[in-house]
Amino acid sequence: MKEKIIAYIKNDIANESFETIGLREDLLGSGVIDSMGMMKLLTFIEKEAGFTISSEDMTVENFMTLENIMGYISRRTSAGTNEA
Amino acid sequence: MDSIFTLPHLIETAASKSPDREAFRCLDKSISYVELHQKSDKLASFLKNIGIQKGERIGIYMNRCIETALAVYGVLKSGAAYVPLDPFAPISTTLSVISDCNIEYLITNTSQKRKISQLLESPIMLKAIIGDIEELPVTTVSWNTIFGCSLENYKPTNILEQDLAFILYTSGSTGVPKGIMHTHYSALSLAKIVANTYDFNSEDIFGNPAPLHFDPSTFGYFVAPLVGATTVIVPDAHLKMPSSLSALISKEKITVWYSVPLMLIQLLVSNTLQKHDFSSLRWVLFAGEVFITKHLRALMQLWPQARFSNLYGPAELILCTFYNIETPPLTDDPIPIGTVWNNTEYKILGEYNTEVSTGTTGELIVRSATLMTGYWNNKTLTDQAFFRVKVADGYDHIFYRTGDLAKEDEQGQLLFLGRNDRQIKLRGYRVELDEVELTFLRHEEVEEVAVIVLGKDKEAQELVVAIKTKTGQKIDAQQLLEFCKSSLPIYAIPKIVEFMDDFPRTSSGKISRKEIGALLHKKIL
Repeated sequence: MKEKIIAYIKNDIANESFETIGLREDLLGSGVIDSMGMMKLLTFIEKEAGFTISSEDMTVENFMTLENIMGYISRRTSAGTNEA
Repeated sequence: MDSIFTLPHLIETAASKSPDREAFRCLDKSISYVELHQKSDKLASFLKNIGIQKGERIGIYMNRCIETALAVYGVLKSGAAYVPLDPFAPISTTLSVISDCNIEYLITNTSQKRKISQLLESPIMLKAIIGDIEELPVTTVSWNTIFGCSLENYKPTNILEQDLAFILYTSGSTGVPKGIMHTHYSALSLAKIVANTYDFNSEDIFGNPAPLHFDPSTFGYFVAPLVGATTVIVPDAHLKMPSSLSALISKEKITVWYSVPLMLIQLLVSNTLQKHDFSSLRWVLFAGEVFITKHLRALMQLWPQARFSNLYGPAELILCTFYNIETPPLTDDPIPIGTVWNNTEYKILGEYNTEVSTGTTGELIVRSATLMTGYWNNKTLTDQAFFRVKVADGYDHIFYRTGDLAKEDEQGQLLFLGRNDRQIKLRGYRVELDEVELTFLRHEEVEEVAVIVLGKDKEAQELVVAIKTKTGQKIDAQQLLEFCKSSLPIYAIPKIVEFMDDFPRTSSGKISRKEIGALLHKKIL
C-alpha cells in the first residue's frame, strides 16, 4: 500500500519531480502536494483501501505525512476487521 | 511615550515591557519577545559581519514556521529589506524575482531543500543560504552558528523610517512580477492605524494564516507586536484541512482572526465549527475578495460573540478602508467596504480623471501613510500607478490608482463594484462581470462562481460561467440561467455553463479566473 501511494504521489499529483519522500515529511508544507492534489490522494486511498474518508477524518493527524497516512489506513482497516 | 519609528522598535519595546510574553507560536514551538529580540540581533549582527549593506535585499524562502519571525526581524535590524518568496510558486517565478531585485542571500528551512536544489541549477548568484539545511552546492549557515555569534562588537544599524523594509511581489496581470516597496514608515503606519481602529491589546492572540508574501501577514508580524500580543502562525497543512483548522483556532484560543473570506467559508461548509469552542474569538476580519453575504450571515450566526469587519486595500496600500458589520446582514446585498480610516483620504474619478458626484461609479484613488514608495526597478509602472494632484508648483499630493470601481452610498459608505478591467464590452454592450457573478451567487445551490470572457478574437467572445455547487453535484444549467434572467439583461447572461468540483486558486486563496480561463479555453474552444 505504501509503495502504491508513493508511486501515485510521484506520478500523478506531485508538483515537481523528486526521488524520495521522507516518511515524516510534511507533504503539504513542503509543497510536494497542493490542496487539489490532496483531494486526489484521498480519492485514491478510498478506492485502494475500499473505505470512505469522512470530512471529520480529514485532519493533519491523519494526513500530514506518509507515516500519518499509513497509521490511519491501518487503524481503519483493523477497525473494519473487528466489526466483521 | 514609546519612541517607535521603525519596525525593529516594535520588538525592542515589547521585549522591555513584557519580555516573557510569547511573541510567536507555531504548533509546539514558541518564541518570547525577549528571545526574539536577542536572536534577531544575532542574525542582524551576522548579516552585517558578512557585509550586508543598508537597502540590500535578502530573500525569505520559507513555508509557514516559527523561524519566519526571526528572519523578518533579523533582516530588518541589519538595515536590509526582506523579500518573501512564495515557497509554492513555480521555480521560474522565484528565479525571476531573485534576479529582479538581485537577491544574494536566502533564509530558508529544511522543507525547501528540493526547491533550493532546483534554484541552484540555474545560473543565479546565491552567495549563501541561512537555515538548517545541508548538503547543498553553496555555502550554508545553520541557526546554531548564528545564535553562537557574540554580540560584543555589534553596533545596531541606524535605520530611518523612510528606509526600505520589504518588497512584496505580486504576479501582475501582464505576467511580469511587480515588486511593491514598503518602508518602515508605511508598514508601521499600517500597524498604528489598525491598533487605533480596533481595540486590540496585549492579551490578544492573533491567528496568522497569511503567508509572508501576502500583505495580510503584516497583521501577525507588525500589528500584534505593536499591541504586545501573541501571533499564532497557522501551519500550511492546517490550512488545507478545515477540520484541523477549526480545532487549531479553538485550541489556541485565538481572539483575532484575519484571513481571506475563502478560508472562513471552507470552515463553514466543512461543518466542523459546531464541534469546537470558539468563545475566545473577539474579532473576525477579512479582506482580499468579496465575502459572499449569505456565507457571512451563516458564520455570524454561528459566532455571535465575535465582531466582524470587512477590510479593503490593494497590497500597494496594504489596507485603507474598513466596515464593521454589527449584526448578521438581512439581505444578500454585498457588504460595503466602508470608509477610509485615519491618515487616509480618497477620491472617486470618472471619465477624464474628474471627480464624480456622490452615488456615481468611478475608479477609487487613495492617499495614505501606508502607501508604497513604488514598484522596484520599474519607474514606468510606478508613474502609471500614481495619480498626482497638483497643490502648488512643485508640490503634489500623490494618490494610488486602485483600478477598482467604487461608489459612495447615501450613508457615506463606499461600495466595491469590481475591478476596472472587469467591466467589459460585449458586442457593444457594457457588462459588469462582477455583477453577473453576484447574480449567480443569489441562487441557493451555488457556492462559488467565476464569470470569464472566452473567445478567439474580439468578434467571437462569449461569456462563460464556472460554477461550484454546494453539494458538488451538477444542477440544471437551463434553470440556473432562467434564474439569472430575472435580474440581468439578456446580453449579460453567459452562453456556456461549466460545473467544477473546485476552482484553481492563487497562493493567497483567491479564485484564479486566469487559470479557469485557460482550463476552459482548452476544453471549450
